[in-house]
Amino acid sequence: MVVKEIKTITDVVCPFCGTLCDDLEVDVDVKEQKVIEVRNGCQIGTKKYFSSNPSEHRYEKPLIRDNGSYKEVSWDEALDKAADILIQAKRPLLYGFSSTECEAQGKGVELGEMLGGILDNTASVCHGPSLLAIQDVGAPTSTLGEYKNRADLIIFWGCNPVHAHPRHLGRYSEFVRGYFRKDGRNDRYLIVVDPRNTHTAQIADLHIQVNPNEDYELVNTIRAILRGVELDIDAVSGVPIEDIKKLVETLKSCNFGVLFFGMGLTQTLSHHRNIDAAICLVRELNDHTKFCLTPMRGHYNVAGANQVFTWQTGYAYSIDFSKGYARYNPGEFSSVDVLIKDEIDASLIVASDPASNFPAAAVRNMFKHPLISIEPHHTPTSINADIILPPAIAGIECEGTAYRMDSVPLRLRKVKEAPGECLTDKEILERLVEIVKKKKGE
Amino acid sequence: MVLNSLILITCRTINQGVALEGGKVSRENVRACALCAFDKEDFKKLDCLVGTPVKVITDFGEVMVYSTISDEGPHPGIISIPMGPWANQVVNPDSQSCGTPTYKGMDARVEAIPSGKVLDAVDLIKLLKVA
Repeated sequence: MVVKEIKTITDVVCPFCGTLCDDLEVDVDVKEQKVIEVRNGCQIGTKKYFSSNPSEHRYEKPLIRDNGSYKEVSWDEALDKAADILIQAKRPLLYGFSSTECEAQGKGVELGEMLGGILDNTASVCHGPSLLAIQDVGAPTSTLGEYKNRADLIIFWGCNPVHAHPRHLGRYSEFVRGYFRKDGRNDRYLIVVDPRNTHTAQIADLHIQVNPNEDYELVNTIRAILRGVELDIDAVSGVPIEDIKKLVETLKSCNFGVLFFGMGLTQTLSHHRNIDAAICLVRELNDHTKFCLTPMRGHYNVAGANQVFTWQTGYAYSIDFSKGYARYNPGEFSSVDVLIKDEIDASLIVASDPASNFPAAAVRNMFKHPLISIEPHHTPTSINADIILPPAIAGIECEGTAYRMDSVPLRLRKVKEAPGECLTDKEILERLVEIVKKKKGE
Repeated sequence: MVLNSLILITCRTINQGVALEGGKVSRENVRACALCAFDKEDFKKLDCLVGTPVKVITDFGEVMVYSTISDEGPHPGIISIPMGPWANQVVNPDSQSCGTPTYKGMDARVEAIPSGKVLDAVDLIKLLKVA
């Protein structure tokens, strides 16, 4: 029998979704530096740990495309070539950053500024509209710990945490026992607003089946009824007016309500106008009771990317450095828009897979120009890249800071060594910054 | 059989989440994301077996995926494809000047094509690369 030396690391922060569960236990085979067991994690978080082990899907050495196939090269050669591509480009795109830690994001900002490029993170295609709305009208918000202990009414609007944030309900919002919610699920009323009877809706006390693309009308009808306006109609957005009136009474009568919202509001036709209205609704509900809202952030550190970009440039995403200083204009400088207009002539993708996540028209233009991918795994983006730079996975193979969906920073832990020659995202970007600086004679 | 006047929503599923962590170019991703989920009653009108390839067509493109019956129904008139490369062939890239494409709520029609070939992520994305 082979006796393995196993190390157990506790209180590990999971680098998958914005819930940032901080109670994982990971068993690592010390000799082989492989994850052999993960406890407490959800299905997706657990998979992320296991897929960090060396496999045919994992890059271990820098690669450069040469006549249609990849050849292994040294870090010096790969970074030198990457720097040349980025310096020669008139308008490089630096995109991603949401699945890595804050210090690497900071280096990304430095590089973006030096190159005079477009700097963007994945909020651009998910909660960017939420950021726009918060800039417009502010946001009454709180932390997940407060919700857990105090909230007795939870709304999930346009999000499906059973699938996308699997432990959110168990840790913060529904089943968990809180200081003032001692009976857990029985002490909370759960409302789901979604066009489909999602698995989250199936465990809710109330499911409001809104028509697709008609959330804006529904939010504003709720606001009108809340203000005492009599409406001479039978239904709005497919929801009977009597049901909306009952809903308003329910919202007013809770002690502490929370509205969690997701892509169902940000990616439908009205985009940030939906969130504007939802924030105003929450603000107005505070005339009657205590109410807060929090976006259900997807990538584990997309909130961190927004924080880092904001404190270093003044803006959370969609930043253009072409004039030598930071300018901000989503719709003009956002990744998908610059790609569709074919303004970009090189891309550096950090910890993201836009070939999978962007609309086809944007991907087509991205592929026309040199593509550098800092990515641990084979993805549709990386396998089409000209240069692949393999990083250690933050939160598994290196430490760092990440911001939870409620903007609480947590320290990620390192549980094992990265395979092969992988460097951390921070080291890779730091070295790129140095090389670019040298080549530009700065 | 063809179904018209549907609304396409892209969505998250737990299988899609698992597949995107380290298996994006694998069959696992095809099984998780190259799927179109129908309302039970809508699917009867398609008159085919579960798993039959269907072509989903919107104003922005078309894509071949496997069909399935949604366990998050009823949602008559609505179809859903998990977020990923297949869904992104047919989403509305227009962001209405806010940066975020309109990934949800496209008008769509669907045609069952029993002999249709569902591409894996690598071959599908390769189509976007101009030789």
